[in-house]
Amino acid sequence: MQVAIQGPWSPLLGRLTLSAIPYTNPILVGTFAVAALIALVVAGAVLYYKKLGYLWREWLTTVDHKKIGVMYIIVGLVMFFRAFVDGLMMRTQQAMAIGPHSPGVLGAQHGYLPPFHFDQVYSAHGTIMILFAATPLLTGLTNVVVPLQIGARDMAFPYMNALSLWLTTAGAILVMLSLFVGDFSSAGWVGLIPLTELPYSPGVGVDYWMWAIQISSIGTTLNAINMIVTIIKMRAPGMGWFRVPVFTWTTLSTNIIGLTAFPILGVVLALLGADRYLGTHFFTAGNGGNLMLYTNMFWIWGHPEVYFLVLPAFGIFSEIIPTFSEKPLFGYTTMVAATFAIAGISWAVWLHHFFTMGAGADVNGFFSIATMLVGIPTGVKVFNWMFTLYRGRLTFTTPMLWALAGLFLLLVGGITGMMLAIPAINYTVHNSVFVIAHFHCMVLLVAAAIFAGVVYWFPKVFGFQLDEKNGLMFFWSFITATAIVFTAMFALGFQGETRRLDYIFNPAWRPMLWTEEAGMMLYLVSIFYFLRMLYVSLRDRVPVASDPWGTARTLEFLTHSPVPFYNFAVTPQVNARDELAWRREHGLDKAQPEAFEPIHMPSNTGVPIIIGMLSLTLGFGLIWRIWWMAGFSLLAIIIAVIIRSFDKNLGYELKPEEVAAMERNLATASIIAEQPARTPLTEAEAH
Amino acid sequence: MSAPHSNPLEHPEVRQASTWRYLAGFAATIVLMQAALTVTLRQHLPYTEYTLTIAGLALASLLAQAALFFGLDISRAQIWKSVSLVLTVPLFILSVGLTVWMFHSLMQRTMIMPQNMAQPTMLQ
Ligand code: HEM
Ligand SMILES: [Cu+2]
Repeated sequence: MQVAIQGPWSPLLGRLTLSAIPYTNPILVGTFAVAALIALVVAGAVLYYKKLGYLWREWLTTVDHKKIGVMYIIVGLVMFFRAFVDGLMMRTQQAMAIGPHSPGVLGAQHGYLPPFHFDQVYSAHGTIMILFAATPLLTGLTNVVVPLQIGARDMAFPYMNALSLWLTTAGAILVMLSLFVGDFSSAGWVGLIPLTELPYSPGVGVDYWMWAIQISSIGTTLNAINMIVTIIKMRAPGMGWFRVPVFTWTTLSTNIIGLTAFPILGVVLALLGADRYLGTHFFTAGNGGNLMLYTNMFWIWGHPEVYFLVLPAFGIFSEIIPTFSEKPLFGYTTMVAATFAIAGISWAVWLHHFFTMGAGADVNGFFSIATMLVGIPTGVKVFNWMFTLYRGRLTFTTPMLWALAGLFLLLVGGITGMMLAIPAINYTVHNSVFVIAHFHCMVLLVAAAIFAGVVYWFPKVFGFQLDEKNGLMFFWSFITATAIVFTAMFALGFQGETRRLDYIFNPAWRPMLWTEEAGMMLYLVSIFYFLRMLYVSLRDRVPVASDPWGTARTLEFLTHSPVPFYNFAVTPQVNARDELAWRREHGLDKAQPEAFEPIHMPSNTGVPIIIGMLSLTLGFGLIWRIWWMAGFSLLAIIIAVIIRSFDKNLGYELKPEEVAAMERNLATASIIAEQPARTPLTEAEAH
Repeated sequence: MSAPHSNPLEHPEVRQASTWRYLAGFAATIVLMQAALTVTLRQHLPYTEYTLTIAGLALASLLAQAALFFGLDISRAQIWKSVSLVLTVPLFILSVGLTVWMFHSLMQRTMIMPQNMAQPTMLQ
């Protein structure tokens, strides 16, 4: 049943041969050298400071939602940087390869990237930014914040939480691996069909793309289940639905989208896999296949996915704007209703990504109107934020600036989205860089929210603030760069530049392309300030109070900074929607519990990371068609799951004396502190 | 988290689980999926009957999984999950219904066939 493939294949190594290693490509060899150097330095430092045991016990095997969240964010930032470099490479190629007389270097006719490589760069850029940067960054933030915000000890399923992280990481590693072993897909992040079919993409690139997404999206789906259950079942006593913080509400709606939409992505990629591996004809042109069915199913997931990204961003704004306006959020109920309205409508608009397919005016009209309806709840949200700001006592800290900049990006992105939602306009600008500029306003809004959230909650987790001075420089350089690059890109879109060009045939576009390149240089400056912000903050480590901002309103700022690993020494009783603000008003925010109770905590386990790494080898085996490797990995995963289900570990208990001691000396309870080995509860103790 | 909850075997839905239902669910799903594959490979049904047949088989296997494999019913322990599953039905109607509509419209506009030709079959 298996299809014939081009090129050599051996039972031992599958399609893998020495020619898969791009040792003749100077860019990739250089990248490899840098990556290997960084890996050596990190590994050397870990061994030199004898931190290997600590790393394994406290981080790699952890089930603590805060540590898992932090690791999600680290993975996201690394991938963000990688995909930024991809973006820089594309901008540079387009700045060089203009007109028939432009020179070419490194084997390219024009510029420095041959089309084959350029295509992989844009495909990797989009895939990574959406699925391996923005998604893990947001998942990380929700992981850290939501349990704290609802007064829970951890997520509902701590073990599954770790599993989600390692599945996402396995996918990210696969994408990175494609740099040095084989190629990546050339078919764009959306998987342009029929280009992804075997006859048109006979190499392993599409397989890398497909399996990396498949594995990581299982992680995302599991995380969605976890989040939904946590929010529904684990809220502190007194937190009825109308007292749930807005960020938690948006997380809930986001993960409902995640849970319902990601399986469709899994199915459509599995069908594509059946075409590529088993010779079926779901999406081929002819033989009963219909390639538009792929596009259709991809976007049934794809459009909800963009709201999967933007709703948590809205939630972050809804936390930050009230804090730095010193006012409760205006229109809480309408905010929550708008969140769910957006999530609901996002299920009925997906055809706007392929208006030009040729469906009738009735169909296009329906989807056009449905798309525009999204503007109503979005408008409600914007006005709520505006009324929160109105006559507030505003302080322009970096989180606040990121949030306000995000509102501007939302405005531009939203209005251009409305333009694109009109089929008559869409026919002229579809597949032009106007679309790229539209959605970059949106996804950069998400990036702005992520930076806002990271700066806002960082002191909570680590107990010291990120340096404001460098943070401001980072903000201004990043936002100015965004304005330069994407204003120019809108202009180019109107001039008719199509997307994904490795060669620019029209020299009239040169000024705008060079403007974009200048903006990219400014992004480089912003990265410098970001790193300096981290460096200065880590060096100075100015300790902060439990509420570092002084005006925060929600529950997570009630517990200490840094957060003890058990979150709250005593589960708080919730009295109001903005619990901390309520306690401040009633002079209760500094009150300390008198007596402690035993705290039951889950034990760490190595099973999630083992399953994660086995899914990496499973993916690798499937990509290179090394059947023994794929088979053994799958078998080992099943065995690991069975072993785990017979594991009788019931977690451990912190005695009240221990809690009291740690509350007096918080450094011993922070998430970077090493914990002594604790014996798990016995069956008898648990009953 | 109070301690007794940590014993998974005491959760009511675990107490309700039964081995024969797992096995029956597994077997039913395999048989129904295999039937759908066979019908597809044989290609002897006319287009409309064929579509209805595999849609029916898909529905039956969904029900077999929900009722037998996952043991969803209206008991106190499971009603919550059953209701959640039912709540996804509108999404099915939206996504499948709108898809059918858009591809029907696409077919009429791009696959224009002479009047006397037979109904489109799977192979077109
Ligand atoms: C006001 C709401 C929005 C409207 C009306 C809107 C409308 C549209 C339309 C009509 C397109 C298709 C353009 C084309 O290909 O011809 C599009 C593309 C896109 N939008 Fe939006 N959009 C909105 C919000 C968002 C948000 C919130 C995000 C992400 C966070 C987003 C991300 C994207 C992406 C990624 C694409 C292009 C995907 C691709 O072809 O590669 N949009 N948008
Ligand atoms: Cu969309």
